[in-house]
Amino acid sequence: MKINVTKAWCEKMARREAYAEVGAGLLAIDPTFEIESVSETSSDETRFVLQRFIELGRRGMGLSVEQLAEQADIEIAELISIESDIHHLPEPRTLYQLAQVFEVSQVKLMELSGLTNPKDVNYLEEAVRYAARSESIEKLNPEEQAALDGLISVLSKK
Amino acid sequence: MSKEENVEVSEVYLFDNPENAFVEAELWDAITEKNLADWEADWIPHLFKLLKSLKQKGVVRKLWPQSRHWHWSDKVKDIEGKLSNQCFSIVCDSSTQAMLITDLARRSQLDVQKHSHLVYVDFIEVAPWNRKELIGHSPKYSGAGSILIRAAIELSKQEGFRGRLGLHSLPQANDFYENKVGMTDLGLDKNYQNLRYFEMTPEQADEFVMKGEDS
Repeated sequence: MKINVTKAWCEKMARREAYAEVGAGLLAIDPTFEIESVSETSSDETRFVLQRFIELGRRGMGLSVEQLAEQADIEIAELISIESDIHHLPEPRTLYQLAQVFEVSQVKLMELSGLTNPKDVNYLEEAVRYAARSESIEKLNPEEQAALDGLISVLSKK
Repeated sequence: MSKEENVEVSEVYLFDNPENAFVEAELWDAITEKNLADWEADWIPHLFKLLKSLKQKGVVRKLWPQSRHWHWSDKVKDIEGKLSNQCFSIVCDSSTQAMLITDLARRSQLDVQKHSHLVYVDFIEVAPWNRKELIGHSPKYSGAGSILIRAAIELSKQEGFRGRLGLHSLPQANDFYENKVGMTDLGLDKNYQNLRYFEMTPEQADEFVMKGEDS
């Protein structure tokens, strides 16, 4: 089909559009976080740390899964998967939102999840130790509280 | 410029930013083998620059876009010959600058035109070198997005849909569709990777076209 568009129209609209991003539709999504089966890139240990940290952090704040999901503005199903499925790969945005709520480093949460490679592996060992000290029960006992405090400390370091 | 037969060509103009001048371009009413070849030969190398950037940021290799372009080619082959899909592309300087795929089988969700036929923009993208956000500096050409939206509007009118459009915008393009194109924001669509869904009414389509007319 022939489209009749004047030069003047093109000029005016090009100036109006300027440098705007115009992408629409799933096929236009930038590939930055196009994720395909990456579970093997992260060790179960680091995923376990992430899993335990989110759960402990949530319980430490006295929040249900639903309440944390609402506070962080993320999907409940995504949060449940993070806490219960060690092979689940979270969305980058989800980790960003959770990092904001828990006031820890988004970069480190990304590294724990396997979305990025850790630049400093030392803190991982420390984080794994803290996470391993806790077990999942209804309320945080003193050991769990100490583990959570330790995790926050480690994940907050710049 | 090689292209398949039966492709209707319309004369359009893009703004060449480095040259600070408007240049002639062609709006094709198809996505052809040439466009797909451009995608692989020209677009992909620029995407590799992005890959390099990802590597520098420490993003693991498994997350890199290993076969994204194949998905895209599959999509075009999938709709080949279907009457419910119309494609457009913009070619300038012998290279594809932007592409658009539409779907004519969708219905409107906006209350004032609910269930009416519309042209759904299934996909719209400009070449990597035309995206400032991607390349980090002034893009080569500007204006391709507006021309493709205009083409979608004209298609909608030709189909009797009076200019009605619908699309799921990428987050970085929300401002363009809401403020520069003037579409109505229907919010995040949980069934579509939480992308924001926008619709254009016939009145908004006319307003968009008028924005480019001489006042």
